[in-house]
Amino acid sequence: MRDFSYFRAASTEEASRATLDAGTMLLAGGTTLLDLAKCGVFEPDTLVDITHLAGLGDITVDANGATIGALAKMEEVADHPGVKAAFPAVAQSLSLAASPQLRNMATVGGNLLQRTRCPYFRDPGAFPACNKRNPGSGCSAIGGVTRNHAVLGTSRACIAVNPGDLAVALVAFDAYVEMGRRRVAIEDFYMLPGETPDWETVLKKGEIITGISIPASMAAKNSTYLKVRDRQSYEFAAASAAVGIEFEADGQTVRDIRVALGGVATKPWRARTVEQALVGTVLNVDAVEKASRLSMEDAVSHGGNRYKIELAPRVVARAILTMGGLA
Amino acid sequence: MTIMETRKHGDAADGMVGGRFSRLDGRLKTTGGATYALEQPVKNVVHAVLVQSTIAAGRVVAVDTEAAKAAPGILSIFTPEDDLGLLVASDWHGNRPENEPFRPLPRQISFNGQAITAVVAETLEQATEAAKLVKVSYEEAQPVTSLDDPNAGEGRLVDMLTVGWGDAEAAYAAADVRIEAEYRTPREYHVPIEPHGLTAKWEGEFLTVWEPSQWTHGMARTYAEWFGIPYENVRIVSPFIGGGFGSKAMGYTYGAVAAAAARKLGRPVKLAVTRPQTFTAYGGRAATKQTIRIGATKDGVLQAIVHRGASETSVFADFPEQTGAATPLLYAVPNLSTQHRLVPVNTVTPGALRAPGKNPSAFGIESAIEELAYAVGIDPLELRLRNYADHDYQSGKPWSTRQLREALTVGADVFGWSGRSHEPRSMRDGRQLVGWGIGCGTFPVLKAASEALIRILGDGSVEVVSGAIDMGQGTYTILAQTAAEVLGVPAERVDVKLGDSSLPGATVAGGSMLAGALTGAVHKAATAARDELIGLALNDSNSPFRDTGANTLVISGGRISVPRGEGPSLTLAELMSAIGRDRIETQRNTLPEGANGPEDHKRSWTTMANIQGPTAGDLSMHSWCAHFVEVKVDEDFGTVRVSHVVSAFDCGRIYNPKLAESQWRGGIIMGIGQALLEEGLVDERFGRVINNNMGDYLVPTNADIPHIQVISVGVPDYDASVLGGKGVGEVGIVGVAPAIANAVFHATGKRVRDLPITLEKLI
Amino acid sequence: MTRTIHLSLDINASRYELDVETRVTLLDALRENLGLTGTKKGCDQGQCGACTCHVDGKRVLSCLTLAAQVEGKQVITIEGIAAENGDLHPVQAAFIENDAFQCGYCTPGQIMSAVACIREGHAGSEEEIREYMSGNLCRCGAYNSIVAAVREAASAVTTGVAAKDKAEVA
Repeated sequence: MRDFSYFRAASTEEASRATLDAGTMLLAGGTTLLDLAKCGVFEPDTLVDITHLAGLGDITVDANGATIGALAKMEEVADHPGVKAAFPAVAQSLSLAASPQLRNMATVGGNLLQRTRCPYFRDPGAFPACNKRNPGSGCSAIGGVTRNHAVLGTSRACIAVNPGDLAVALVAFDAYVEMGRRRVAIEDFYMLPGETPDWETVLKKGEIITGISIPASMAAKNSTYLKVRDRQSYEFAAASAAVGIEFEADGQTVRDIRVALGGVATKPWRARTVEQALVGTVLNVDAVEKASRLSMEDAVSHGGNRYKIELAPRVVARAILTMGGLA
Repeated sequence: MTIMETRKHGDAADGMVGGRFSRLDGRLKTTGGATYALEQPVKNVVHAVLVQSTIAAGRVVAVDTEAAKAAPGILSIFTPEDDLGLLVASDWHGNRPENEPFRPLPRQISFNGQAITAVVAETLEQATEAAKLVKVSYEEAQPVTSLDDPNAGEGRLVDMLTVGWGDAEAAYAAADVRIEAEYRTPREYHVPIEPHGLTAKWEGEFLTVWEPSQWTHGMARTYAEWFGIPYENVRIVSPFIGGGFGSKAMGYTYGAVAAAAARKLGRPVKLAVTRPQTFTAYGGRAATKQTIRIGATKDGVLQAIVHRGASETSVFADFPEQTGAATPLLYAVPNLSTQHRLVPVNTVTPGALRAPGKNPSAFGIESAIEELAYAVGIDPLELRLRNYADHDYQSGKPWSTRQLREALTVGADVFGWSGRSHEPRSMRDGRQLVGWGIGCGTFPVLKAASEALIRILGDGSVEVVSGAIDMGQGTYTILAQTAAEVLGVPAERVDVKLGDSSLPGATVAGGSMLAGALTGAVHKAATAARDELIGLALNDSNSPFRDTGANTLVISGGRISVPRGEGPSLTLAELMSAIGRDRIETQRNTLPEGANGPEDHKRSWTTMANIQGPTAGDLSMHSWCAHFVEVKVDEDFGTVRVSHVVSAFDCGRIYNPKLAESQWRGGIIMGIGQALLEEGLVDERFGRVINNNMGDYLVPTNADIPHIQVISVGVPDYDASVLGGKGVGEVGIVGVAPAIANAVFHATGKRVRDLPITLEKLI
Repeated sequence: MTRTIHLSLDINASRYELDVETRVTLLDALRENLGLTGTKKGCDQGQCGACTCHVDGKRVLSCLTLAAQVEGKQVITIEGIAAENGDLHPVQAAFIENDAFQCGYCTPGQIMSAVACIREGHAGSEEEIREYMSGNLCRCGAYNSIVAAVREAASAVTTGVAAKDKAEVA
């Protein structure tokens, strides 16, 4: 890691102000920051430790929804009875992520900002070309080993997959990212790579994520997070789906359905076409499978990741069928 | 160190050797007290960090070290410009070119990830960061990056690996049933949890190296030859090794760099190879491909096997991963032909990874044999028994012991194989497809001489001393058991010192031969010590036994007495005190009488030239196993999970079942990783392995592994070793991957012939 | 000059004063500066679990924690879990009894993780243990025995019966 100074922020305001300095990064759980600093991707001059800030770690769940402080640890949220009851997909997305040790360290605020696992991004010594790291330098991944790259939301500048699990669940349930003076719907928080893949979120210099709020909904309460991967545990998703369904009083007609995808897109991906195809219908296996395939209408393969186009709709379908009692 | 004696009832094995002792080094390992190589406190140490190439072929034009040199704490930077003054050392067999310069940081680039520069600084952090500031300019050449590279060619036939009898081509052509398929395995890596590295320290012309080592004497020779100093001037210290699996038997270039840097700087140098660097600092298992053709009768009786295999190697050295190593051994077949080719590509030279050769070879033949079973409609267990080899068809010699039939039948019974439904896709568990498969394995008995020192101390305790190592196989423990049995003392009264090349000579901890070699040496030395002690007890003028008239004595439970209990009985400490001795020391080796001089010692302890293969005598000697595996496949997702494993082993006599079972399970788990997860992903444009870390090169987690039942069906084989054991460590992985591939076929009807069986191959 | 920081750390209930570069991780501080080498470096990238320690009672990875971050917190390493009289922690005893390791290099991390796993209440079934011990890779493949050891230690912790004694009864 490059030589840096280390300070503990005395207040949220001080932490926010610190980010105005280009060489300064905020240190929370450290699981992304220190990892990428070791890789040589991050080269901060100053780290401002925010983990001691008071009042940013609370988790509250009531009839209106959940508010989760940015410094709450992933494991604390995953284990929170209120979150588990009102937002099972959110709790599951966390407990299926990383490892217990990492979940004890990583904060939910930091988790929203975790960076891609693209091996070309993570190895600046071997692959100088990376538009995400070094705008305009090119993309080493295109034409390379792309087994774990995105099939949705890619551009000619970048095909790196967003590796998150929590953010996928949050996107499904219309959560907001709280940034002190403003809040942004999480779907809008993340940006497509386009020509500027280095710019991943709308978080500005001088801003700090203070928390997440998730509105309560029947769909969120009746939800699941399904994560498929080669290894049983401690691996990023090959494809994942967060699904929540609210049924009409008849118990079978879909009143509200939420579908989001992970492991396949450049940002946490809401699959609205799938939702629209199924809302107002009574679920059956064929219709669900057909609708799930709509999620891949715009998918683009880069060779090694072609399987994701086949796999992801099956993950979506299974999650929907599970929530519909048809799996 | 304390042994917790926890023998459980019902074990087949009994006695001191054969008992279920817990590890002698267990307390140290569970308290953080076991000190691995990089943890040895060395005063005044500085840190070296490697810079590896980012191209696969070409040459280094220049290394710009200006920015790095300006960084704080930098002491020195070594580049291809620097002649470190080293000479090429011997190969495994002791062959060495005359006075050939060795440049561990060469200008010529032969693979991506080759060490080209080393940065030395006061602190690890300073060296690590400055290494990133080194700028290398290259002249690039077009690399050959894999077996499939159009420029790779078909490779070179390795004549000594050509095996055959009968007329395999004709018999194949004439057979009623013929199958043909190609099987492939990718680059695989050892991934020991302890990364490689060393601390090197010079005192004048004497070099001490703290480095994890599967072979302290062999590595001492290598360092001595590199630096042109006497073998006796080098000391390799390696009391604990954090996993080796074949990767820690040799000195590697980074070791030469660190020791050379230490000499130049006049300070001890610690060099820790980073996890990503380990993927190219030494070689893993080579990628292989093999085509197998089997001809058989309609009843599944083998008529011919034709095998053509190839493995990649580096462009500057040969390491054949012998795809035909198991092919001739497993079945009775009247006609056979195998050939193996070596294909040079721009990779680090591959190395030995758990059951080299046998492992990919078994993936081929054990997959093919089940393909035949389905082709002829015969249960795969029945097909294997029908073609059981009653002798070694390759050498024509009888087996020493071969309990493979028992492994198959007992394993099948315990697994419940009779409940199988033959048709693929015919077994389910809810949504999941269920499949069962078998894979057999074999590994040769290799024999080597070794040496051991036994000390009986004044307090009645015993020391066993050897330069051999324990990387988790349990050497500490089984040597204590061996000495305890011979000397009639409780095992907790035995202390074992290992892992230092200045101690008595030992062969490599590889080829599953160390336990056989070392128990033999300890047994011999301990027997000599016992005889000497009894001789003193009978003859020493101060011994209470002198006048008993006994012509021998017995030692048991730490007491020495006259047989049948008439007369005195003393503790060993009381006897030692009575005869005024503070120690009795015997050193013995297992070299033959006529070849026991200093040169024989050096050759035996520091090279592999004297190792005897499985058919060196009148018999053919091997370990055997049969794995029975159940998988569950989610067909929508292509995910395979192993849900049940029963494996039966013939490894002869088992010295400590508790530890042997752990090794077997470890091999099986590595085999599960090989079957389902492990693959070095090479970017063909750059010849670079891009998943060079533990988050992307996946090895199994705890959650991937079901309960694995292991069973010993072996019988003592006293031709194989003094105490009757055959090799335990490597055979466990052999046959696991094909058992899983076979189970996946049974579950899904899809035959996957290229490992690993990742989800995209099944959806 | 590299930037340095003075730290006063509470490790295994002892106070350690040290001056280190600010960028030094807890793992390297333990191993290189404090002689507490029981905590292992397997990957240095948060991918293997060998460096697992407890910070304020929670299991964390010391390779992705700066030494500076733990000032004012209680750090427990493998050297700090046996009793002062040398009696092994029930998890340590169960690891030895069940042969839950071979080379021993992942073992301190496994044990620190297992102690936490039991404390967290995640040792209820074999399946749960497997999942909650999956952040600790073991290349020797001791997983079956690790699960057995955690189960045994979990019940020993609950009932107060030492693993060793139980095994002799069984």
